[in-house]
Amino acid sequence: MNPVLQVRALERRVGDVEILRRISLDVMPGEAIGVIGPSGSGKSSLLRCIAGLDPISGGDVLVEGRTAKPGDGAIGMVFQQFNLWPHLTARDNVALALKVVRGMPAKDADAKAEAALTKVGLGALGARKPAALSGGQQQRVAIARTLAMEPRVLLFDEPTAALDPELTTEVLDVIRTLAASGVTMLVVSHEMGFVASLSTRVVFLDHGVVVQAAPPGEVFGGGGEPRVKTFLKTYLERVAWTKDA
Amino acid sequence: MIQALNDSLIAAAQGLPMTLALWLGGVAIGIVAGFLIGAVRFFAPLALTWPLAALVEAVRGTPFLVQCFLLYFGGPFIGIDLSPVVAGLVALSAYGAAYFSEVFRAGFMAVPKGQLEAARMLGLSRPQTVLRIMLPVMALAVLPSLVNLAVILIKETAVLSIITVPELTFRVQGVGSATFAFAETTLVLALVYWALTEATSWAARGLERRIERRMAA
Repeated sequence: MNPVLQVRALERRVGDVEILRRISLDVMPGEAIGVIGPSGSGKSSLLRCIAGLDPISGGDVLVEGRTAKPGDGAIGMVFQQFNLWPHLTARDNVALALKVVRGMPAKDADAKAEAALTKVGLGALGARKPAALSGGQQQRVAIARTLAMEPRVLLFDEPTAALDPELTTEVLDVIRTLAASGVTMLVVSHEMGFVASLSTRVVFLDHGVVVQAAPPGEVFGGGGEPRVKTFLKTYLERVAWTKDA
Repeated sequence: MIQALNDSLIAAAQGLPMTLALWLGGVAIGIVAGFLIGAVRFFAPLALTWPLAALVEAVRGTPFLVQCFLLYFGGPFIGIDLSPVVAGLVALSAYGAAYFSEVFRAGFMAVPKGQLEAARMLGLSRPQTVLRIMLPVMALAVLPSLVNLAVILIKETAVLSIITVPELTFRVQGVGSATFAFAETTLVLALVYWALTEATSWAARGLERRIERRMAA
C-alpha cells in the first residue's frame, strides 16, 4: 500500500529562524497521526506547510504522489478558530464550495451539505447562522464543510483549543468517529488522552524536529524519549490535580 | 419674529431639495469612488497605490471649505470652469470618497485572515473569495462608519453655500441678510439639519438592527 501523504525533508525558515528542520513523514490511508509537542515546537507550522498555507523553504509535500496545492481538494483543514463565514447559514457554509468550486447544482450541493451536517450531528441546525451556534457546534460545521469536499487527508489544527471541556468532548467525539471510519488525518492537539486514544501513531515535535514518531502505547507508556517524558510529566502534573485532604 | 421664522421655513423648503440632491449624489458617488480607491489601495501593489494615497491624504488634510474655494475659484485657472452646483457636487463627492475609501480599506483589512484561509483551502478563487466572503463580511463591519460619514456629509453641504450653491443654508441665510433676523434663521437652519441627521441615523439604526437579526438567525 502506498502512503497517501508523503512529507519529505520539509523545511521552513523565517529569516534566520528555523521553524521546521527536515521533517519527513509518510502517512498511510486510514492513519490518524497525533502531533504533540510544546508551544512553538512547529506543530501548527507543520500542518500549515502541509496544507500549503505557509511557504516551505525546502522539501516536498505529496498527496497520492502529486504536489498538493491549497484548494485542489487533496487536503482539507479544520482550524482552531473555526473560521466559519458569519453571513452564511451552517448549510450555506458547507454548500458554498460545492457550488462555486465543484460546480454542483444548488439542490445537490444543499443535499450534500445536509448529509455532511447530519454526519457531525447537526442535521437540524443547517438554517442557523454561526452566531446562533455554540463553539462546539461551529467547529462541527467547520468539520462538515471540510468533509463535504472529500479531501484525501484531513488536518486538524488544535480543533478544541478555543472550546470549554464540555464542547471539547462533542468535537472530539466527531473526530474519533471520523478516524474510526477510516478518514486519514493529522491532528495537532494538547488533549493528550484524546491523542493517545485516537492515534495510530504519535509524532512529538520540539524545536522543529521530530523527536519521536511511534505508536501511542510507546510514547505514552513510558517508553518515550527523555524530552517526551519530561513534556508528558509536566502535562500529567498539571491535569492530575487532587483536592488537599 | 414670526414673520422671519415663516420666511425662513419657506426658504428652507425651497433649499431642501437641492441639499438632499447634493447629499444623495455626493454620498452615492463618494461611496462608489471610495470603494474603488479603497479596493485598489488594499489589493494593488504599494507602488501603484501611492498616488491614490497622496490624493486621499490631501483631501483629508485640508478643510472642506478650502477645497470648495480651490475647485470653484481656482478651477478656471486650469481650465476647470464649473457651475456652483456642479462644483459643489464634485467637491462633496471627492471629500466623501477620500473618507469612504479609508472606511472600505479598513473594512477589507478587518476580514479575519482565517476566514480567507478557509476559503483558500476549499478551493475558492481570489475573485470568488472577494465576492462571496470579503464583501459581505466587510459590509457588516463598515456599515456603522458609512452611516456616520453620510451624516457628516449632510452637515458639510452647508459649506457649499459659500460658493453660492442655492441649497438650504444659502436660501435661509438670504432671509437673514434681508431681514437681519439672524437668530431666527439660524435656529431654523439648526432644527432642519438636526431633523435630517436624526432621520438618517434612525433609518440606519433600523437597517443595522435588521442586519444583526439576520446574522443571528
